[in-house]
Amino acid sequence: MKCYVPGPNVKVLGRTIHALARFGDELYLESLVDCVRLRTLNTAESAYAMVKFNKNFFSYFNYNYNSNNDNDGPKCKISMKSALNTFKSPAHMDKQVENLEIKLELDQCKLIFQFKCKHGIIKTHYVSILDSKVTQAVYTKDLVPNRITSSQRILSEAISNFQSSDDQVTLEALSHSILLRNYIDDNIDLSKIIRTQINIKSEEFDSYTVDEETAVTFTMKEFKALLTFAEALGLPIQIQFETTGKPIVFIIHNGTTLEAHFVLATTKPDVTTQASTTQKSSRVERNKRKDSSNLTESASKKPHLEEDISKCLDEDSHLFNFVDIPNEEIPTNNCDNSVNVENNNLVDIKDCDNIPASPTSKTMIKSLFKKCFESTFDPRSTQDVVLAGNSDSE
Amino acid sequence: MPTTRRQQQASASDPAPEAAHQPPHIVTTISKLSKECVLRLSSEKIYFIVNDDSSGPAPPVLWCEIPQMMFFSEYQLIGVDDEHKDIYLGFSSVNLSRPLVTLKSAKSLKMKLTKKQCPCLTLEIESASSTSQQTRQVTHDIPAIVIPRKCWSDFYEPQVPKPDISIELPSLKQLRTTIDRMRTMSSDVVIRASAEGRLTLQIKTDTAKVSTRFKGLTVEAFEGPIEHSDSESETQINEDQSRLCVCRVDAKKLSMFLNADQISHNRVTCNVVHKRLVTLCLRTDENVHLQCYITGIVY
Repeated sequence: MKCYVPGPNVKVLGRTIHALARFGDELYLESLVDCVRLRTLNTAESAYAMVKFNKNFFSYFNYNYNSNNDNDGPKCKISMKSALNTFKSPAHMDKQVENLEIKLELDQCKLIFQFKCKHGIIKTHYVSILDSKVTQAVYTKDLVPNRITSSQRILSEAISNFQSSDDQVTLEALSHSILLRNYIDDNIDLSKIIRTQINIKSEEFDSYTVDEETAVTFTMKEFKALLTFAEALGLPIQIQFETTGKPIVFIIHNGTTLEAHFVLATTKPDVTTQASTTQKSSRVERNKRKDSSNLTESASKKPHLEEDISKCLDEDSHLFNFVDIPNEEIPTNNCDNSVNVENNNLVDIKDCDNIPASPTSKTMIKSLFKKCFESTFDPRSTQDVVLAGNSDSE
Repeated sequence: MPTTRRQQQASASDPAPEAAHQPPHIVTTISKLSKECVLRLSSEKIYFIVNDDSSGPAPPVLWCEIPQMMFFSEYQLIGVDDEHKDIYLGFSSVNLSRPLVTLKSAKSLKMKLTKKQCPCLTLEIESASSTSQQTRQVTHDIPAIVIPRKCWSDFYEPQVPKPDISIELPSLKQLRTTIDRMRTMSSDVVIRASAEGRLTLQIKTDTAKVSTRFKGLTVEAFEGPIEHSDSESETQINEDQSRLCVCRVDAKKLSMFLNADQISHNRVTCNVVHKRLVTLCLRTDENVHLQCYITGIVY
């Protein structure tokens, strides 16, 4: 892949990289016949972003200029950190950079960014390729019942009302207005935090279709990142979502050169515990990625993890059994002893030794209540003696 | 929970956009002074009170009176009974100041005491949309503590001794930069106010003595002569000792009050009780009265 990005578009590319960096730590690049796709996925796999640059975004575009196999476009994975370093301060980039050449050298394992700046300065960044695979998320859009188009300004203004400590936001879509709330976890002390709700009437939006009233909760950090991106490009945001638990998709596009999809997992707003929240979001992820062809390793990790947990649980139940058995056997053992002592007064102490050996699991109990298991133990001696009173007298 | 039984209700809406800028500034100033503050609502005035953590006989750190007429077009207050008409609410001051910052672009504000799982001061802010004629509604539920009647006495207006001198202060901004520079060198600063309208701020360290003098300030009251029993208050040779008030105060506290320069004010005075107390009073055109009490340090 080889392409040239004209000066003004370099800024757009820089903004894109910065927005994607708020989502994930790795950047996937894929070159197709007519476009370049940048993708990222966060580590919790609850947020995914894809930005597609069409051919006409570039002044020159050759998707497959040094590769032999024609059917598959070149692709690669690089670390987000190195991508960020390449695009420092995107705000000023359009003033300095006249042209950017991006070259994907799969043979050398390098992605090369060459900035041709003013005054003949050329900056070249060689970014190492970590992998030559890409990830892909599967999600539904366009067919969903709820679609809202909003200017980014409305949403940014609304979000500015929240506190910086709020990390999740609930969007409740009603037929004539939307409500934005900061999501309150059940574990949070209500007397410590401000609850904020913003009511925005449907008339404020460019278009508003809510066929199925619902409330979805998603993370604030990624939402803010995509708002900043839309703000920088001055483009409206299309929000498409179904219902709780299904991903919400934010689409930002300018119709000709670029199209960005930001997909966030959603949780139900009224789930009781944090644990169930995370479960839910991971299930969403799995649904989303069911049909995907290039699964990353972490997908296979998940069921494995669950197995581990179930194994742990099994072990736990053994543990409980282990405790139960001796508890049941203590009284019988005591009975045996008392029978021996009371009914057969003549029985020699030696006879006690003939009692069948206790199961090994009893060793713990034995070591704790040593005296009870000694051959000289007489249970009558403890019958009426109260060594320690009941702790709760009432 | 006292709120349910009391049926207390306070609601107010804020129409005047000019005046609306004042309360946020006041609350921001308070949030810099203390984490907690108390809001007292009475039929005539609303009060912000900040008590010191070790509140004993000492006066509160800050006492602020705001006449409700100036800021609210509608004001309803129902107390427990006729004898206890007021409401005292405790807050985290940051929780109150942050939502109020957005008031600049607001059309109206309605404050309500509500019970939403816990007692809350609900701010209903109606703000204009930047893109269309529509308005949008923003609701903040700020958790509050309803202060029971038996604790009200902790928040009564402080009885302070009559000041020996009351002197006008120079520009707060100028004072603040001066104090902030001095603060880096010494933890306490000596304030000297003379009946001739001179104000001196002085710090002493092992290596340096720094003083800043302001001249020609209006003296509003002087209850001299002052008895100087020791030689600590050294001064210019030709100055009449008996016409000079001295108090040593914590520089950090003084600097915190001087943050109040955000509040547009028309008069700031400094009242000094010789060697005991410095009171800084700020008045605005809207008749907001903010007082900050800094007790003197005695060696």
